[in-house]
Amino acid sequence: MKTHKVEQLIIAAVAFFWCFLMWFATAAFAPSIVVEFSLTKAQFGILASSALWAAPILRPVAGYLADRIGAPKSFAIVLFFTGIMSIVSAYAESYAAIFVTRALVAIAGIAFVIGIQHVAQWFEEEEMGAAEGLYAGTGNAGAGMGMLILPRIYGTDYSSAFLHLGVVALVIGVWVLVRGVSAKSAEQADMAKSTATLRDTAFVWTRFAAIALMFAYAMSFGLEIGMNAWLSGYYKMGFEDAIRQLGFSSIRDVQIAAGTFGAVQSFNASLFRPFSGYMSDLWQRKNWMPFPIISKSLQYSPRIHWLMFALLAITITMIALTIAGLSGNVVISVLILALFGITVSFGTGGTFAIVPLMFKKRPGTATGFIGGVSCLGGVIYPLVYGGVENIHMGYAYVAVFFFIPFMLFFAWAMHWDIHPEDHGIGKKEGWLGK
Amino acid sequence: MGGGSISQEGVTYEPWYKWGVLVLYLEMLGAVGVCIYSLYMAFTGTGGFPGKGH
Repeated sequence: MKTHKVEQLIIAAVAFFWCFLMWFATAAFAPSIVVEFSLTKAQFGILASSALWAAPILRPVAGYLADRIGAPKSFAIVLFFTGIMSIVSAYAESYAAIFVTRALVAIAGIAFVIGIQHVAQWFEEEEMGAAEGLYAGTGNAGAGMGMLILPRIYGTDYSSAFLHLGVVALVIGVWVLVRGVSAKSAEQADMAKSTATLRDTAFVWTRFAAIALMFAYAMSFGLEIGMNAWLSGYYKMGFEDAIRQLGFSSIRDVQIAAGTFGAVQSFNASLFRPFSGYMSDLWQRKNWMPFPIISKSLQYSPRIHWLMFALLAITITMIALTIAGLSGNVVISVLILALFGITVSFGTGGTFAIVPLMFKKRPGTATGFIGGVSCLGGVIYPLVYGGVENIHMGYAYVAVFFFIPFMLFFAWAMHWDIHPEDHGIGKKEGWLGK
Repeated sequence: MGGGSISQEGVTYEPWYKWGVLVLYLEMLGAVGVCIYSLYMAFTGTGGFPGKGH
């Protein structure tokens, strides 16, 4: 079948966008669901967190699957399954049925690794940053778009929204199957397939470079999804008086203001992500390598230095969020939050401008590990934020006790000048038996 | 996808690349727009889409 890599990029981006739209559709209608089923705060908390349960476990499986059977078939499986579940959820009448079906729809969040693998199979090294950035940024925007648009189109009629989202997912699934092609050449597809074994998976999971990139992604994407779940509550609890002074008097108004502040982070973290891919390309072209310890000899070393810069920026803005919170000034806090979202996008885009290059023979397996396990950050950080006495201090604690050690490990794991992806726990020959 | 390939500092890009970079800029403009809209809505208490107060 005649195709072009840009068509394959569009297919991946649209499929991923729709999956993310379905993933966060539950959150978009949470107020209506809470009222209709009279949920307690604890029940709502479990419903909200259930959206993140599948990712750490199933994203690695999705990466393995993409390498074995190709991204188009993998995308189609996810779209068909979650689309049907979304349609079923539209007819759910009890809370238990809503909870189970929406938790199953949340499996759509695993689609990310499939598309990353697909783009890696089609694009050249020098254009990888922009291509992966375009794919991931556009797709991630589905989450923010859902929160912003869906309640305004459907009001409180979430059942119609779930039904329509599911039907369109099925249509996209058919389109992906008809027009999607696994790789630019049969050799490329066969190479990915031949390395998708349990031995290779264990090999990748024990590589220091893969662990370091997983930490980098936990500092960016894991942080992003954790903040999505946390920020509305943070602004309500941490700035309630300041928000009321702005004129938002009722609980509903305070919630709208708090939710809108949170959306600033979500949109910036998503839509500036392609810019990060472009910046990674730029650092590569300009050969910028300012940091000590990290290798300067690898073909893609400047991209690693760009990611290190991004991780530093994330850590600094996390501490700035604490300082802004302690000042009690909501305007400063929101402005720093906007900047924070951009630095998060630097980290997410910067990580996946490296993964396909460093793990060229195992793109799906590596993406599954890095993109999957890092999601645990989204579960852990909010627990820290909520566990400290002063609600504003959590960001600084996470920055100091999680992010600084992560960065030190990252710099060390990237110091090898030759094949850093081969160093890890146990020797390559031992894991791969070659 | 017409047009010839682009050469920047020794690296030759295919024609799609310039359009890809254009999309990147448009997406960033979109993000800035959403920020402005969100801040306006949050600070004024108005601006519910499509253009009505809440």
